[in-house]
Amino acid sequence: LKLQGGNTLQWLLILLMLCPPRGLLLLTVLVLLEGSVLPLGAASSPDISHHANSDKHQVADVGHNATKKPFPVLAVEYDRVQIPFEISLWVLLASLMKLGFHLIPRLSSIVPESCLLIVVGLLVGGLIKLAGEEVPPVLDSRLFFLCLLPPIILDAGYFLPIRPFMENLGTILMFAVVGTLWNAFFIGGVLYGVAQIQPANPSDLHQLDLLPCLLFGSIISAVDPVAVLAVFEEIHINELLHILVFGESLLNDAVTVVLYHLFEEYAGVGTVTVLDGLLGVISFLVVALGGVLVGAIYGILAAFTSRFTSHTRVIEPLFVFVYSYMAYLSAEIFHLSGIMALIACGAVMRPYVEANISHKSHTTIKYFLKMWSSVSETLIFIFLGVATVDGPHAWNWTFVTVTVILCLVARVIGVVGLTYVINKFRIVKLTTKDQFIIAYGGLRGAIAFSLGFLLNQDHFPMRKMFLTAIITVIFFTVFVQGMTIKPLVELLAVKKKQEAKRSINEEIHTQFLDHLLTGIEDICGHYGHHHWKDKLNRFNKKYVKKCLIAGERSKEPQLIAFYHKMEMKQAIELVESGGGVKLPSAVPSTVSMQNIQPKKPPPVKAAERALPQLPKGREEEIRKILRSNLQRTRQRLRSYNRHTLVADPYEDGFGDLLLKKQKMIELEKKMNNYLTVPAAPPDSPTMCRARLASDPQAYSVKPTSDRVPTIQVDLASPQSPDSVNLLDEFRRAEQPRGEAGPDQGLMMKPASAQSGPNKSREDDESRDQQQKLMRCLSDPGPSADEDEDEPFLP
Amino acid sequence: MGSSSSDMSHIPDAQELMQETGFSAAHLARLHERFEFLDKDDRGELSPEDFSTVSELAMNPIGDRIIAAFFSPGQQAVDFPSFVRILAHFRPTDANRSRNGRNGAQQEPANSRTNRLKFVFQLYDQDRDGKISREDLLEVLRAMLEMQVEEEQLQSIAERAIQEADLDQDDAISFDEFRKSLEKVNIEHKMSIRFLE
Repeated sequence: LKLQGGNTLQWLLILLMLCPPRGLLLLTVLVLLEGSVLPLGAASSPDISHHANSDKHQVADVGHNATKKPFPVLAVEYDRVQIPFEISLWVLLASLMKLGFHLIPRLSSIVPESCLLIVVGLLVGGLIKLAGEEVPPVLDSRLFFLCLLPPIILDAGYFLPIRPFMENLGTILMFAVVGTLWNAFFIGGVLYGVAQIQPANPSDLHQLDLLPCLLFGSIISAVDPVAVLAVFEEIHINELLHILVFGESLLNDAVTVVLYHLFEEYAGVGTVTVLDGLLGVISFLVVALGGVLVGAIYGILAAFTSRFTSHTRVIEPLFVFVYSYMAYLSAEIFHLSGIMALIACGAVMRPYVEANISHKSHTTIKYFLKMWSSVSETLIFIFLGVATVDGPHAWNWTFVTVTVILCLVARVIGVVGLTYVINKFRIVKLTTKDQFIIAYGGLRGAIAFSLGFLLNQDHFPMRKMFLTAIITVIFFTVFVQGMTIKPLVELLAVKKKQEAKRSINEEIHTQFLDHLLTGIEDICGHYGHHHWKDKLNRFNKKYVKKCLIAGERSKEPQLIAFYHKMEMKQAIELVESGGGVKLPSAVPSTVSMQNIQPKKPPPVKAAERALPQLPKGREEEIRKILRSNLQRTRQRLRSYNRHTLVADPYEDGFGDLLLKKQKMIELEKKMNNYLTVPAAPPDSPTMCRARLASDPQAYSVKPTSDRVPTIQVDLASPQSPDSVNLLDEFRRAEQPRGEAGPDQGLMMKPASAQSGPNKSREDDESRDQQQKLMRCLSDPGPSADEDEDEPFLP
Repeated sequence: MGSSSSDMSHIPDAQELMQETGFSAAHLARLHERFEFLDKDDRGELSPEDFSTVSELAMNPIGDRIIAAFFSPGQQAVDFPSFVRILAHFRPTDANRSRNGRNGAQQEPANSRTNRLKFVFQLYDQDRDGKISREDLLEVLRAMLEMQVEEEQLQSIAERAIQEADLDQDDAISFDEFRKSLEKVNIEHKMSIRFLE
């Protein structure tokens, strides 16, 4: 019977998913189903396994016995797949929840996602408990630290904006190290004091020793990167505050690790001597620097490996992920700070890896990291909810309320005090508003819970109380602070993130200023941070880049990379605007985007339309643009929203896009066609597609008339008229220009007149390309073309 | 500023300089030391050769421009007050502006945003015609990119930069256009040397 129930429920689930979603209804039903399937699955497994065994047994018997049982047409063997099945079910739940939240428009703007997810977790946990089943210990510390946390940290580390991080490193370190220490000792100490001052009312609290208190303090004082990321992502504050709070949450891991181990180690013994304290300090340095070192080593290894992956582009992303994960695990072996290792690995490898890998790999890495970190974060919050329901709880009013209050108070005092000291050394001072946001943004999260969970019940009889208090603090910070921070930011008019498009002027001037400041520092004899930055850059350019970046890319200056990126964007803008529109004069004449004339009736203007010559310079320009790798070092990290990756069409598929666009332009030039583009105001891609679809002749080449001289290109002579091969054609054409490529030239020749069939193929091709172009634009994901698996760069 | 004038006795017009540039006595003393260190032949003035002894400047792509900025056009020597005045552009911005008010001097301090930008503008505009022409920009790009790039690319970049910034279509960047193109950059932060606080 139970089996039947399980099957029916699953069918219901599928059916409901197929029905048109009705937001909330769907959500509730899903939650209910999820809650019921899991315990049923758990419950029925012993039955099933038994059943399965008996089945197997019987099947085996068949061979021996004369008595034959009917062959079991449908057998259920849940036991075998239980664990992967349940994991998948949880992941599915998490993803569907995410989906659902964004279907309900108003909800996601009022309540941050993290809160909603915790609530869902509570519901699911509650349902499981109601069903009378054992709640699976989902927030198991091993699972958390080894599987759920690394993707989030790697995502954060790989995309860490290095420049603001380094500029504010001193401040961040102060907050992370001194701030956390202050928090830990203050909370622990005061709690101990409070625990002792209840002579009249003897309670459990009296059992509390100083060291467990301090341990608790150190667990609860650490600002949590997951929670910070989840909340700050949605409020879009300015870069400085974001990097301060976020950087603090990452770097305080080292402190937390050391304090935790220190107090845990000695809590049994009961005393900590000065020597232990000193060892603790040394341990901190080892943990922090060791973690960074491990991460940096793996990062360099990854960068070096990526230098040789030009023939195996498909597994490039794998190297990034595996090396990073290994860095994390290696650091964890020695009890070094895994988080810092991961950050260091990601930050170190990124500039070199990105210079080496293909554009598709880059997209893959980005998407996978975002995907994993997104799912991880969702799961973490859901599990928090489930674990809350699970307990075990030991509620103690005094302890819990004092803890919550103390966390707030300690944070505020810490931030204010530290800012006073820090501002003496900062050029851009932190204002009161800044301080408030920093203090308010100190959210606690799942790391604190997992650390508490790790405690040994025997050594720490107050473990349950600790866990309850931790969960309360987490709930408080995530719900209260998380929900109110957005209105507060609006209220206080905190500076928001500038969605600034960098111009080439800014780039030039910024580099100029860097040189200027370095020069002035040299004149003053002052070795300030410009001086060291300059030295580092020189060292990087001279030695490191040569080692870690393949081929010619190692010598490319930053400015050129930036310039190319801008040109790409312009090309894409051109395409999006309909392709046939003449660009405004903002485009420099040497750029190859111009000279696409709108349609004019052939008999009238044909004679005037001179054959567009391709000046040698422009051809060279095109070849250079094509030859160099198209995704560039992002000098200034564009802000990203973890939930909407579609925001940046420039970054997705533009390599393919540009190539196709270039080909289009070449085709236009060389064949001297006049595009029969309907006079075009910038249309949306949809309109373009619609136009294309309805009018297959829209982009075709008009049959040549005698008046108009034509150059026809034998574009596809030995090969089939496949767009991929056109790509090859172009690539090979560039090879003799000095690229150390494996293929040797087939120079592209503007051939003599060809026959008709060739022309019609070109029609198809150009149309094809345009359609593919449009499809690329609308689909920000990796290109769907199966036949384009080969990389377009050698 | 409360410091005894005995330290300042060997510095000419120390009090005036301090008021004009906003440097403290300690900083002025430090700068004077540096001045004397650079002044190898003890003339009380610096010549371009003295600057060239700073080895890192040779590696700096715009090193020669920076050196030239210290010298007024036509002069071959810079004395200590001029030295300090140039460096005043790089002093971190005062948190409180009341000091300037008390001075009575209505002049903007050297480290105001406008004055800093003017200084940078002059570094670009070597021919001192008040605008950054295409040729000026090309020179800068050539210097910064240090022969790694071909001439055409430089042309394209310069072309693009001018088109982006040039609002009055005169094919050159005036000071106002220059200022506008840098409005998003935090000049006070970027052009401050912590040492000079």
